[in-house]
Amino acid sequence: MVLDKTDPSYRRCTITVMDNIADPDITFDEKGICNYYYDYKEAEKRVLTGAAGEQKLAELSAAIRKQGQGKKYDCLIGLSGGVDSTYVAYLVKQLGLRPLAVHLDNGWNSELAVKNIENIINKLNIDLYTLVVNWQEFRDIQLSYIKASVVDIEVVSDHAIFATMYKLAKEQDIGYIISGTNIVTEHIMPSNWLYKKMDFANLEDIHDKYGKVKLKTYPIFDFKRYVYYSAVLKLTPISILDYVPYIKKDVKEFIKRELDWRDYGGKHYESIFTKFYQAYILPEKFKIDKRKAHLSTLICSGQISREEALNELELPLYSEQDLRQDKEYVLKKLGLSVTEFDSIMRASPRRHEEFKSDTKLKRNYMTLLQKTQGLRKIFK
Amino acid sequence: MKRIRVIPALLIQDGGLVKSVKFKDHKYVGDPINAVKIFNEKEVDEIVVLDISASLEKRGPRIAEIKEIASEAFMPLGYGGGITRLSEIEELITAGVEKVILNSSAFENPTLINDAAKYVGSQSIVASVDVKKNMWGKYRVFIKNGAKNTDIDPVEFARKMEDAGAGELLLNAIDRDGTFGGYDETLIRSVSSAVNIPVVAIGGAATINDFVKAVGAGASAVSAGSMFVFQLPHRAVLISYPRQQELEEKLFSYIN
Repeated sequence: MVLDKTDPSYRRCTITVMDNIADPDITFDEKGICNYYYDYKEAEKRVLTGAAGEQKLAELSAAIRKQGQGKKYDCLIGLSGGVDSTYVAYLVKQLGLRPLAVHLDNGWNSELAVKNIENIINKLNIDLYTLVVNWQEFRDIQLSYIKASVVDIEVVSDHAIFATMYKLAKEQDIGYIISGTNIVTEHIMPSNWLYKKMDFANLEDIHDKYGKVKLKTYPIFDFKRYVYYSAVLKLTPISILDYVPYIKKDVKEFIKRELDWRDYGGKHYESIFTKFYQAYILPEKFKIDKRKAHLSTLICSGQISREEALNELELPLYSEQDLRQDKEYVLKKLGLSVTEFDSIMRASPRRHEEFKSDTKLKRNYMTLLQKTQGLRKIFK
Repeated sequence: MKRIRVIPALLIQDGGLVKSVKFKDHKYVGDPINAVKIFNEKEVDEIVVLDISASLEKRGPRIAEIKEIASEAFMPLGYGGGITRLSEIEELITAGVEKVILNSSAFENPTLINDAAKYVGSQSIVASVDVKKNMWGKYRVFIKNGAKNTDIDPVEFARKMEDAGAGELLLNAIDRDGTFGGYDETLIRSVSSAVNIPVVAIGGAATINDFVKAVGAGASAVSAGSMFVFQLPHRAVLISYPRQQELEEKLFSYIN
């Protein structure tokens, strides 16, 4: 495994800034171009801009409006206060849709995030629903993930937000979920930096082994719900940002101007924990610098030059003062002493796969669905 | 133009932040430490934290928890809940609390107000007066988080608190709590005209215009819970606080 750039076997892609520190399994072709570049180029085909994008959006919004007739809301959007979700909120209003915005309060909101959300919903006249996760439970699961030394601690938040979106869609009888996920600014992501957000069996097992607090209100998305929502309700989030020109720099300027949006530097820094996770836990313990993936995506979509990306990577992830402040706050909130935390940071990373999973169950179920497709058609 | 203090009030129950309607139906709204941190960054004038389960559980203030909250609050912090002894007041002040708020014990043991005022000074002692109308429409003071009627008129009680040495009154209209229906101006008027110490109005605020009305009725400062925690129509939890410029335009400029 390559740990730093002075290693003789260190290699970096000639187009992106992905390297064999970021992903030991990275492959390069004869021109020194990595697999992530080609993977991006493949995904890019799904991005529709210009007339094709407009047509796609017109079709989608017509369908959404039609299904939402007579209802208070016709779609759900997530709202974190970040760039992607803010722009989604703006776009859906432009399309004449009637969204209900959903926000997750996991106890780590920054002032910037809540102020951005306040401005967005007031300026765009959007109703908000907040899921407040019980902090004692949430902290206990987060602590379990930290102690388990698994990489994707953000599953704890992401799982809750997905589970809530689906639950709310059903309760409010809303047929569409519109998501801010997009190809041109976030497609590249090594698979070993993340874990599946919807694998409740994994979460439950990690929490069973390391947690103390019984989960009573934490929103779950288990296999039973997976079957229900995917097969019965057929809710698939729509990535609307893939159908518009999405140049991050321009969009930021635009939402600053139109929605009084404020930048907090760094992708997903709207949450204090996420900032600490991405700028300290990931690089220190897992040797992961998420900027490499984000910047590489922006290079591939022509939004920055490789030179700019390399310069940005030279900047420290944290100023010393911010790190000290955030670390103190995070440890206080989690109820961890510095000694405890530092010893967890030294513990070797473990794979999510060492814990239970519902992946196999889901796969078998999907195979079953495919096999019986013909049969089911007859009975429909 | 005069500056008016605008004070968010947070309720704590079992260590979590809650919000009530008419002192009932408590809804969980999150983690107190993060909420105080956000209010701190919003540069609020002052903040009030009330542990509403302390007196009912017959226990004192949880000093360790309060200390953690106080460490995120660079603005003056008022704390109330379960205080019955002078030693607890000393501990709270040491923990970083600027104002000590007494409710049940102010009624049951007014000499505590007196002793506390001698110890930390009147300006740090707040008597919290929770008021509800009785069956005949008369205002009455309630204690134990609204659970017990003392059958005393708030004007009489307010005077008594002032005499005992309280430096400020936190006047709460239970029937308006969490309703977004505006302050009880009649109540504010009758109490504030009867005492010389500042009266902080709480209960019912929905807009800055409600602050203007409360001040018009005699309040020296205004406080609110739901208005700073919820976004309508779904009562979505989202902490907010008006910008200084907004307060100047819509509140301070109306006050002589």
